Amino acid sequence: MLRPFAIHQPMTVSEATSLMRDYGDAAAFYAGGTELLIVLKEHLAVVDHLIDLKRIPGLDEISLQDDGASLKIGALATHRAIERSVLVQRRLPVLAALEAKVANVRVRAAGTLGGNLCFADPHSDPATLLSALGATLTLDNGTAQRNVRADAFTTDLMTTDREPDEVLTHITVPLPGANVGTGYERIKLHERPTVSAAAVITVADNLIAAARLYLGCIGDAPQRLRDVEDVLVGLPALVTSGERVKPLIASLALTYDTPFESARYKRQLASAVGVRAIAAAVANAVHPQGSRHAV
Amino acid sequence: MTMPASTAAAYEVIGTNAPRTDALAKVQGKAQFTGDLQVHGMTYGRVLRSPYAHARIVSIDASAAEALPGVVAVMTGRNIPSSDPYYGHALKDRPVLALDRVRFVGEPVAAVAAESPAIADAALDLIDITYEELPAVTTIDQALAPGAPLLHDAPNLRAGLFHGLGEIRLEEGNVCYHHAFARGDSDAVFANADIVVEGEYVFPAVFQYSMEPHTTIAAWMDDDDLTVWSSCQHPFLVRAELANLFNLPVGAVRVVVPFLGGGFGAKSYTKMEPITSSLARLTRRPVRIANSVDESMVTTRRHGMKAWMRTAATKEGKLLAREVRAWFDTGAFADNGPRVVATGADAAPGPYTWEAVKVDAWGVYTNTSPAGSYRAFGATHLQWCGELQVDEIGRRCGLDALQMRERNLLQYGESVRPGGKPLDADLIGDMRRVAQSLNWDAPKPDGVVGRGMSVGLLAAGAHPVSTASIRMEADGSLTLLVSSTEVGQGARTVFAQIVAEELGVAPERVRVPGGDTRLTPYDRSTGASRSTTLAGMAVLRAAQDIRQQLLEIGGRFLDLPEVALEIRDGAVRHEGEAVSFPDLIKFHFGMVGGELMGNGAVRPEKGSGSYAEGPVFWEVCIGGVELAVDPETGIVTLNKVVSVADVGKALNPRQVVTQEMGGANQGIGNALFEEMIFDETGTLQNATLYEYHVPTIADMPLAFSLKHCGERGWAGTLRAPRAWAKGRWPAWPPQLPRHWRMQASTSTNFLRLLSASGGPCKRSSQPDRRAMPAQSMKEATTDEGLPAGQWHPAARHVVRDMEPQSGSGVSLPGLFDLH
Amino acid sequence: MPSETMMRLRTTINGEDIELDIEPRELLIDVLRHRLELTGAKRSCDSQVCGACTVLLDGQPVSSCCTLAYEADGRTVLTVEGLAQDGHLDLIQAAFVEQAAIQCGFCTPGFVLTTKAMLAENPRPTRDEIKHYLGGNLCRCTGYWNILDAAEDAARRLAAAAETGS
Repeated sequence: MLRPFAIHQPMTVSEATSLMRDYGDAAAFYAGGTELLIVLKEHLAVVDHLIDLKRIPGLDEISLQDDGASLKIGALATHRAIERSVLVQRRLPVLAALEAKVANVRVRAAGTLGGNLCFADPHSDPATLLSALGATLTLDNGTAQRNVRADAFTTDLMTTDREPDEVLTHITVPLPGANVGTGYERIKLHERPTVSAAAVITVADNLIAAARLYLGCIGDAPQRLRDVEDVLVGLPALVTSGERVKPLIASLALTYDTPFESARYKRQLASAVGVRAIAAAVANAVHPQGSRHAV
Repeated sequence: MTMPASTAAAYEVIGTNAPRTDALAKVQGKAQFTGDLQVHGMTYGRVLRSPYAHARIVSIDASAAEALPGVVAVMTGRNIPSSDPYYGHALKDRPVLALDRVRFVGEPVAAVAAESPAIADAALDLIDITYEELPAVTTIDQALAPGAPLLHDAPNLRAGLFHGLGEIRLEEGNVCYHHAFARGDSDAVFANADIVVEGEYVFPAVFQYSMEPHTTIAAWMDDDDLTVWSSCQHPFLVRAELANLFNLPVGAVRVVVPFLGGGFGAKSYTKMEPITSSLARLTRRPVRIANSVDESMVTTRRHGMKAWMRTAATKEGKLLAREVRAWFDTGAFADNGPRVVATGADAAPGPYTWEAVKVDAWGVYTNTSPAGSYRAFGATHLQWCGELQVDEIGRRCGLDALQMRERNLLQYGESVRPGGKPLDADLIGDMRRVAQSLNWDAPKPDGVVGRGMSVGLLAAGAHPVSTASIRMEADGSLTLLVSSTEVGQGARTVFAQIVAEELGVAPERVRVPGGDTRLTPYDRSTGASRSTTLAGMAVLRAAQDIRQQLLEIGGRFLDLPEVALEIRDGAVRHEGEAVSFPDLIKFHFGMVGGELMGNGAVRPEKGSGSYAEGPVFWEVCIGGVELAVDPETGIVTLNKVVSVADVGKALNPRQVVTQEMGGANQGIGNALFEEMIFDETGTLQNATLYEYHVPTIADMPLAFSLKHCGERGWAGTLRAPRAWAKGRWPAWPPQLPRHWRMQASTSTNFLRLLSASGGPCKRSSQPDRRAMPAQSMKEATTDEGLPAGQWHPAARHVVRDMEPQSGSGVSLPGLFDLH
Repeated sequence: MPSETMMRLRTTINGEDIELDIEPRELLIDVLRHRLELTGAKRSCDSQVCGACTVLLDGQPVSSCCTLAYEADGRTVLTVEGLAQDGHLDLIQAAFVEQAAIQCGFCTPGFVLTTKAMLAENPRPTRDEIKHYLGGNLCRCTGYWNILDAAEDAARRLAAAAETGS
């Protein structure tokens, strides 16, 4: 049951950050609330003030940057909005498909991408893909903005680089080039995803010219497997090439036992989804039309 | 048994897919569940629960909570206003609230009644309790260890009102019940047998998850007049327990049962009613307590179990003897544990012919949440182990699952257990139907790992006492008074069909309100597949009573003998003449008014109706699956699930099918991923629905087939859409043992074991599942990866290896008939 | 200190304009069930897993157990009680009855409303699309088969109604 709190509905980012500075630890930013309200109901956190960011104009916009090379997704855009955005579906279908599988339709209708990233629950989808895509998060404290790489944002278990008085305003995602393929694979054994992998593969001359591979959900934050990437580069651009790195993925995956899955099992799952993500990305790079929806 | 008058003729309503009588109310949100009710002056109760598995309560200071504006009363172990602080239908071992110590994490310690749920919630924080932690036993092994801390003074516990087990022999230690029987000389048979398979088994605790959490409203009209609205399955047993608790005549307690949002055994017997009633008495106002799901998870669950079993057979695959020792974890209080232990033990031999059997089963207290009934209780635990061993014997003999059962299953009319009812089903025929549906003899499609099937019996019916009454009003309106609880199984619909068939009216004409112990007549309970079969029989007899009265009045009205009359379309008829029911009633009473009242009862027709003489009927539990497994992830895809509904004549075939599909769904969850995980402090690790995964649409099998649902009627009984889905999962877990659950590393391990051709799999030690993340991360970085060929189980749920007999060369644990 | 300030909630529920003073912390499910006696939305998991508390907020399915009531300000709420018109079942409700998709009924309002939202977005869903959209609603009684049939049936009824222009 929720304890009493006040609601504040600022109309600008600076108003929001100023409220946050006023109330300090007694306040929390509030967007979709899908995670926060459960935490508050279970009394795992207590706040006296919720600063609702949803009235701030523009924070939920999804647009193509002027240069046409990246998508700008407002932090308050809901999973549903991203899933159903024609722009995202056409320009970054791997993200639209990912968003379509987040939790359930009710969570997607309320939950926001920004809230998801700031809560930094490891058992979550978007951060891993955004890390692999090289996305940038923009934080605003009302007076100054700064950018943080998506893969540097989560610093520890459910902890991020965001200062308490900073609002995550938007996420900028560079769009993959013509010879770049993306793949996102996950396994969900409970309500929340158990393990995920995101791959971004550049193909040139029928070879893998560059690769980014991230694992999600199994550790405290998305983890980049650079050693795997190094092995991938130079391999033939075949969907089977990922098989080569399967044992390496399992051995590099950082994870731990939980009451639900052992570390070993999760490493096994990680190698499976990792290889599948690589295969999807290679296929996507080679035949962009045919595999865009393979998530 | 009297058969319906319409037996000879074709049925008009029975056997049709009559729509549910409650469908319109439910689809519009008008159906009222307990939590939807408002009682004038109602306060809101909340329960403070123990954070410790075992602790002494040193002090409780509730003064700050009592002083909070809006708090009406705070109840603790010091001011429980009942005559007896203890209750329990099997053993009176449970206090309404913890008295001097707590015995499980989640045990109610205090309860607050307040003007709003929010105030009650806030008041809980203001109750100051000092505990002194005591050593706890959170597993069966710990509880049975020499010198283990004791949960109860077991030898001196008092028997409850409804243990139903004859004399309960109480033992020292943490054992609440011991059930044992032996027939034949099993030592001699085992000594000379060609094949002996032996194994140890662990069966996890699971949560019933009826979607409506336990909800109760209690209101005292006076000091000797208690009304309780509750999400309970057995209102008359709750009534008796409350009357006992407050030292009142049973008539002074009224239990009203609105619609239930599922039961599955979670709402059997008495759960939140004692706390709510006590708090209402203290408060002197009505109180509602509505559990959250996590509270319901520590209110009741299914027993976890560990067992040792061995089975002897000839080299031709003829089963000879079985020995079983099983320990059921009943948690901190017995609840329905003794009955579950007894039923489970009795079922352990399975539906086979034996030269000798020897079974011992114990109910064991542990410092975990109490365990009670769950669908088909008793049928599941040990028949699962037994079916694994039958498959293993078959493997050693070169016989498949079907062949083994064809050779060994009991035949129709053979004795299942001495003194009990003989088998009233054709099990082999049913198995063949499953095999046919699975294309048993056809090559497996690509990717299919195996097909499997198995069989069990459930002793159904519980104690056969049910009554029903029907009122026919002056205008012909029909109201059926029956106390079987509508938990979703469709009992009210089937009852309406029975009345409609007998009285020649449309089923929509029959109103079937819910149970109310002050108005609707006695029914023992709702469970054990007894609603249609037993309460339905009482309804039939009540309808026959009315029918007889109508014929008698019609005979007088028409001046004809009763045999010349028939009842059809709402009238008594003779050739071209028809007299409507209202006209008959008007004729009978000489005015427009009055009513006819029909009564029907079912009671033991011979003997005492005791458990030992039972069951009322044998419920067949047969299922089959064809499944594929992703070899990389261990994730199971159920290509096809087959169930057998050997129900005799289905009164409402569609409801039978729906019950079966729903039961199968729970079987899937139980077999593949459901498990309550307690840590060593006795704290439930997955106390939310996002951690305790129940089957979703995504977990459905790709195909479902139900066999043998329709005309049969060999027993001449009304064996129709059962009050409860049959316990089909005895058929399932043997095919899908706990190894296959997705959340455990064991799933993948087991795949590797399957693909390995080497010797018997070795059991690795239990991993520390609570390893600190940081530490494990470090470990992970030094791990050299997967030793692919020799990866052993982190076996949490392991059916341990069956030790191969010398020379048998069996290489795999006998888990799966990889047909 | 938490503010005791009440908020004014102006919303449209099942076509009716409602004005209420609410506490900021009040959840939509509690306002519906306790203040407005609209008890069709059921509380079960309390954590957005089960869908028993589903209502439509501006046509989108939301978990009323995890939605602050003030979020409904200036918006429209549809609960299961608002579906039937003049005593006639909504065609989705009719399909659930016809396909025997109801047992204990605790999940039914949530499934019916989620189906309503789905068909508004996608009037001709495939079986897989139905499974995806309804995948966040739990049912412990039916095994889901009849519910999927009901959703398909509802889509057919919708198409038939569109054809006849009724």
